Amino acid sequence: MTAADENLGEMLARRGFGRRGLLKFAIAMTSSLALPPGMAVAMADNLAAAKRQSVIWLSFQECTGCLETLLRTDSPTIAALIFDFISLDYQEALMAAAGGAAERTLRQAVAANRGKYLLAIDGSVPLADGGVYSLTGGKSNVSMLQEFAPDAAAILAIGTCAAYGGIPKAHPNPTGAVGVEDVITDKPIVNIPGCPPIPDVLSGVLVHFVSFGRLPALDDRKRPLAYFGTTIHDQCYRKPFYDQGKFAKSFDDEGARQGWCLFELGCKGPTTHNACASLKWNDNTSFPIESGHGCLGCSEPDFWDQEGGFYTSLAGGTGPGWRDAGIAAATGIVLGSAAAISARRNAPKGTTET
Amino acid sequence: MAQGCLKNFNFLADDGLVDTLLMEVADLLENFLAHGRSGSIDLAGLPLSASCLAALEQRLGHGEISAIIRVSGESETRETAFPGVWWTSHADETGRIIAMLIEVTDVPDILRAGKADMARGQIRLQAATSFAQARRTA
Repeated sequence: MTAADENLGEMLARRGFGRRGLLKFAIAMTSSLALPPGMAVAMADNLAAAKRQSVIWLSFQECTGCLETLLRTDSPTIAALIFDFISLDYQEALMAAAGGAAERTLRQAVAANRGKYLLAIDGSVPLADGGVYSLTGGKSNVSMLQEFAPDAAAILAIGTCAAYGGIPKAHPNPTGAVGVEDVITDKPIVNIPGCPPIPDVLSGVLVHFVSFGRLPALDDRKRPLAYFGTTIHDQCYRKPFYDQGKFAKSFDDEGARQGWCLFELGCKGPTTHNACASLKWNDNTSFPIESGHGCLGCSEPDFWDQEGGFYTSLAGGTGPGWRDAGIAAATGIVLGSAAAISARRNAPKGTTET
Repeated sequence: MAQGCLKNFNFLADDGLVDTLLMEVADLLENFLAHGRSGSIDLAGLPLSASCLAALEQRLGHGEISAIIRVSGESETRETAFPGVWWTSHADETGRIIAMLIEVTDVPDILRAGKADMARGQIRLQAATSFAQARRTA
């Protein structure tokens, strides 16, 4: 049996994971996807029998941050092994092939999986001036999307740029950037916004699709409901301080030190739908609010152009005391420059900066 | 700050929520006894505070069986003071709890051996016994 023929259960058994491991993973995934816990056994059975799922990933007008965050570099967990099991048939940044060989790989993957592959897109689609602002092999992003979307089983718009246009769409939007759903209107699309998006959300969507052959339940903005059904504020551990009216007024006042609510410092948690407060980042270490900075609302459409900017509260107001923040920043720059000059003076002769 | 039963909400512990969950467990048990259908409650999916979970765990108590499953981190399933009602928690490799359930069934699924795993074990066992037999005859 070749690796292409084996199912996921066989592949996991070869790596030392039996049914219990897969069932445990399925229990965690059903919980994460807000599915009834009784579906875990069916999910485990379906996953064990699943064949490789072809994914064709096209990168458009993007910064590669979405791909960076989704790459798994930690220990070989079952989730990571399932990522290995996905047949990522085309991804320009990761594949060894380039030029004509890459083009041939793409067409072969499409021909072999017509109607079955998942088309993953990161980056927005520039439409201005015929789409000339982002090209791959001389082809515009919009023409590639229109060529490969019809044969896809579904489209995953990964990151805020692919979902809604993101930062490239920010005013004045010189490239005419839009999200995937503005171009393709006749295919199942799931938006996984975030700048970058949370890797566990993509895992959940992929596992749901591989297990049940369909996308999970979506909200009115085509986001997976299980992860985007509540706001960050709803799940925030600082919410009790909001309820008590205890707010930090600057980033270094007593309220900030006490961990009070960051609403008056511009936190967009109350209007931002995402799972940062529950899933967190970096192996569940923390999320921006836990690190002392308000939510920027990066998973919402047009977050870059929101009225008043990142540090103005949703209720209006003046935001943090910028005089104090400016002094702190200036002090940091002076100290940093002094340290850099000192380091350069002390560097051995002949060394160069890179 | 005093912690309530609902996580991230600013009011004090409400034993009513624990009672509600216990009533749901009773319904699941009745359903299993009447129709043989297993049921479970995903505790991680509920916005319960740590104090509320502890109160619920205390009310359910400890029964006769406790099992540790070491696969992709440690899982524990143990019967509560109510036979057929199990408290199961699953941790990942770092010890973080990734799922917590109350299961109502005769034997939790996580304890059952998979048929494919048993078949693979059988092959290993046959190899081990044939090796031992060959050594004896040599």
